[in-house]
Amino acid sequence: MSNLIKRDLLLSFYSSANFFFTVSFFILVLILIPFAFGTQTDQLKNLFKGVVWIALALSIIITVDRIFNADYEDGNLDIIMQKNKTIEYLIISKYITHWFIYCLPLLVILPILSFLFYLDYSETIQIFINLFIGSFGMVFIANFVSALTLGARRTIFLKAIIMIPLFVPFIIFGSDAGSWPILLALSMLSFVISIYVTAYGLRLYGE
Amino acid sequence: MNELKTENLSCKRGENAVLNNVNFSIKSGETLVVKGRNGSGKTTLLRILSNFITSYEGKVMFNDISIREDSLYNSKFNLIGQKNSLKENLSIKKNFDLWDILFNEALDHVKLLKHNNLYHLINRDVGSLSDGQKKYISLHRLNYKKYDLWFLDEPFVYLDEVNTHLLIKKINQFNENMGIVILTSNINLPKNFHKEINI
Repeated sequence: MSNLIKRDLLLSFYSSANFFFTVSFFILVLILIPFAFGTQTDQLKNLFKGVVWIALALSIIITVDRIFNADYEDGNLDIIMQKNKTIEYLIISKYITHWFIYCLPLLVILPILSFLFYLDYSETIQIFINLFIGSFGMVFIANFVSALTLGARRTIFLKAIIMIPLFVPFIIFGSDAGSWPILLALSMLSFVISIYVTAYGLRLYGE
Repeated sequence: MNELKTENLSCKRGENAVLNNVNFSIKSGETLVVKGRNGSGKTTLLRILSNFITSYEGKVMFNDISIREDSLYNSKFNLIGQKNSLKENLSIKKNFDLWDILFNEALDHVKLLKHNNLYHLINRDVGSLSDGQKKYISLHRLNYKKYDLWFLDEPFVYLDEVNTHLLIKKINQFNENMGIVILTSNINLPKNFHKEINI
């Protein structure tokens, strides 16, 4: 398990462009708000709280191909599955690395962005907590979608169509301050479903 | 002394029966060459032997224990599939680093590649290599030591004469160290390869 985490971190370090891409993508989506809706401060604040979730969802969607598909296409998934006989450990290490590589940078950059959108300290904290908890759930969903669509190549649209409806609950509750218990429940629920479905998808791939 | 054997192994893929009553037995120090037409199930056989496909009829036994029940079996074989397991956008050296972590064994790749003409390309991106060079680099995984079995799926495809001889030599050496090799190939290999089956 720790080997796979180490290897995935090294891989993302070697192709570190990936990781800057998602952060810049996240920032750019948010920067579109003032262009689209004008620069009145009050409006910006409220829009930011919602659009930050859309930006997170889109950032996760564009990285979904890197979870299992990249390793599947070049054959590394065979080695990974052979070395990690307990498939649940494999999946949990994938959750950890995917969250660490693609969600953590977004959370780190979030306080700076909310400062730019005139959010005060307490509002920033609330958004941060919500995003922190909700991002785990979204990562779980992205993992099982990736595992289920392994055989299908270059189908980012298909994956987006499957994932966006599943992200809706997170986005509905995410923009409310203080709704973190609901997000936590959603994340835990998606963990339970995801670990089962991901394992099923990977076993199916082995066949 | 290790022994891998199958008894009446049959497997269906969807509607088609691809393997029909395959029987063989192979002991330490031997090589089995699996021959057959395209689509006859050579790759399927290797994927069954490496526990990826678990729905089949018949028995596959390693040292008289069914491989589906032997929890240690997965750490005993080294499968080199038709895909190269290389990241195209990274250099050879970085790919080796990633393998080292996955295989949990640090190899001295520089020393191993030193006498090959690929040595000076070690910092080049894999994407810029030819198919034959990629295949040779992919076979570099055979240097990881702690395995009793090698499963090689079409290892000679794309390889030139020199590298083919190097690979045959490597297989013979592995056999001398009591390793078992099962490979699929349709080319005519030298007579000193031990066994052959047609499926």
